[in-house]
Amino acid sequence: MDFQPPIINLLIVAPLLITMGAGLFLMLLNIFCKRDGVYYWLTLAAIAAALVQNVAMWGHEYGTFIARGSYPMVVSDNFSVFLNSILLLSGIGTLLISRNYLHRTKLERPEFYMLMLFSLSGMMMMGMANDLILVFVALELLSIPLYIMAGLAVSRDDSKESAMKYFLLGAFSSGIFVYGIALIYGATGATALPAVYAVLEAGSPLAMAGTAFLMVGFAFKIGAVPFHMWTPDVYEGAPTVVTAFMSVGAKVAGFAALLRVFTVALPAMSDAWMGALALIAALTLIIGNVVALMQTNIKRMLGYSSIAHAGYLLIGVAAAGQHSEAVGSVLLYMLAYLFTTMGAFGVVIALEHKLGEGIMLEDYKGLAKRNPWLSAAMLVFMLSLTGVPPTGGFSGKFYIFRSAVEANLWWLAIIAIMTSVVSGYYYLRVVFYMYMFDGDRTEPVYAGTALKTGLLIALVGTLWLGFFPAGWFELAYKAVIGTTQLLAGG
Amino acid sequence: MFGLEFDQIFFVLIAAVTLGFSVLVVTMRNLFHAALALMVAFLGVAVTYVTLGAGFLAMAQLLVYIGAISILIIFGIMMTRRIMSAEEEPFNGQAGLAAFTAVIFFAFTTYVFINYWPAVPAVSPLAMAPEVDPAMIDNSVVLLGQAFVNPNAYVLPFEVASVMLLAALVGSVFIAKPRIQEAEA
Amino acid sequence: MIPMSWYLIFSAALFAIGLYGVMARRNAIAILMSVELLLNAVNINLVTFWRYRTPDRSVGLAWAVFVLAVAAAEAAVGLALIISVYRNRDSVIAEELDLLRN
Repeated sequence: MDFQPPIINLLIVAPLLITMGAGLFLMLLNIFCKRDGVYYWLTLAAIAAALVQNVAMWGHEYGTFIARGSYPMVVSDNFSVFLNSILLLSGIGTLLISRNYLHRTKLERPEFYMLMLFSLSGMMMMGMANDLILVFVALELLSIPLYIMAGLAVSRDDSKESAMKYFLLGAFSSGIFVYGIALIYGATGATALPAVYAVLEAGSPLAMAGTAFLMVGFAFKIGAVPFHMWTPDVYEGAPTVVTAFMSVGAKVAGFAALLRVFTVALPAMSDAWMGALALIAALTLIIGNVVALMQTNIKRMLGYSSIAHAGYLLIGVAAAGQHSEAVGSVLLYMLAYLFTTMGAFGVVIALEHKLGEGIMLEDYKGLAKRNPWLSAAMLVFMLSLTGVPPTGGFSGKFYIFRSAVEANLWWLAIIAIMTSVVSGYYYLRVVFYMYMFDGDRTEPVYAGTALKTGLLIALVGTLWLGFFPAGWFELAYKAVIGTTQLLAGG
Repeated sequence: MFGLEFDQIFFVLIAAVTLGFSVLVVTMRNLFHAALALMVAFLGVAVTYVTLGAGFLAMAQLLVYIGAISILIIFGIMMTRRIMSAEEEPFNGQAGLAAFTAVIFFAFTTYVFINYWPAVPAVSPLAMAPEVDPAMIDNSVVLLGQAFVNPNAYVLPFEVASVMLLAALVGSVFIAKPRIQEAEA
Repeated sequence: MIPMSWYLIFSAALFAIGLYGVMARRNAIAILMSVELLLNAVNINLVTFWRYRTPDRSVGLAWAVFVLAVAAAEAAVGLALIISVYRNRDSVIAEELDLLRN
């Protein structure tokens, strides 16, 4: 038997290899080097290198892992490049805002950086995976480090409690998720997404049941109602940097896989999942926004707010069942969500002077006097989360609502606009506290250089998306075409 | 008996034992006993694999689930509880809702399986296993091994899974190791 | 010969029992055991689909091995978390769980 070496296109997994390799390297380094700063800078360099490599792949459509043979395991197209850029940016953002925080709270450990790199690799794999098996394994690679990172503050009960709750519900949802994809495998005899698409008949009840369980699993991961109950507790209990990382990274990765699986493998059943997702989106919007009104803890409030934003993103996914252009609006919204959320958590971190202190709404009283720049930044982020022009949040919502209307989801667009108005109350309440009240504390708030850099990037991103959304939307739209081509090409 | 063939009777027995012991797992007050019941349930599942011709997986089930996971769970119970006197209320306030959900789930999936299986309409609902050369089943382990190192197949998930196991290992050690410095501080 | 749906119903029953356990139990270790039951149910499905649908390809078997690996990783992480929670407090929070409420 003559041996033919397989032609492997390692280039398309290069960003993943960089982040995974860096994680492994840090593990080895841990034996020799005890200085924490080294790990920080190495991680930052690795993620930046992966980002550069990833951006260089834009527009090339490098295609698949292997040049010939059956359906590929991973694909690299503009869609995955766009999502990986968001994920890598969220990694950089997390590192920037965590620099002083980890020092201050004595949480800086090499394990934090290793786990973050591994989790980031899993997240990137989610958007590239072209096979249900790989989606499942990537989901676990994403989740398991996050469970541990949520419990990073080992000396605090609430951190460990939230880690355990996150773990138990995460493991539970993984079980439902994998049961769902097992049913789809049973219905089609295939696991590669294009192969599932090729075989699947509309209205196959088994595949329908599988899709339903798959949806439940995804809903857990992205924190959509009625499977959202872990979100506020975990967001509150986890160290704030981890909360920031999971609120952007885990959510974007969940949506990445959701979009790819549903639009590539399951368009035959788009009528069914479109309706279901629209319903979940409506519930998520209403419950997320209304419960957020009652929160006095800013991390908890941002937790409910992230549930609400999952609702807005779900509108776009539901609309993608009608026309693939809606995927572009989801991508744009994710970009706006990335900058805004990272920025908001950056401000929360700046104010959290001790672990678990300074995170109540009360603590924001008089911030405008203590640090005018910080409160101005928070003002922009809160306006962006509400969706007031000219911020990124407005641009994101505008395109999402437009795609909802184009997909004849009028009622959903109306609910979304009404809940946006409601959300203005709790977001602007933070602004009101910052500018209208005098607090007990008067000493200035110290923000380190890294945090300032992070906030500046977030601010520029938010405003840039707000003032010039058209160019960004074109970019996001180019990322959609890749997916559709793949869909047509099989 | 009831017109059943031998292997069908055997399957029903194994299924009954497995399900019975898994009910014990989720209802028993004493966690240690529940963990022992879990081992029997795992064993039943391993026997099910044998009836399906997946001998390798049955072996893996024995080694990983019974040999490793069950033991790990029993260690966990022993390290966190006074096992012989643990007799508290096992259920939270949601037991009724949970039972309802479980019954609805079972009814729904069973309905789907029985009425619509398989997706190809020409085949009877009670689809039997396709007649295959026994050599193919015997050869499945070879195929499986090749698939794990074949870039056309599962080399990527395999590598990702190995990194995942590594992350789990690092994370478990990190989270569970005693922190002497912090206790002093 | 055993009809395919028998295996699937068996697996669905096992999954339902696990589902009940996850939602109804108060103790974290008991919930973890229920999750293991869920993953076993999935594996029965996968092996059944392999034997009845694609015996010529190793998709289902390979997948079942991945589920096995995931189960092992989850058990390790879960017990580490439970033990570390227990170390801080003797009356374990892990024993007053109600996963459906927040």
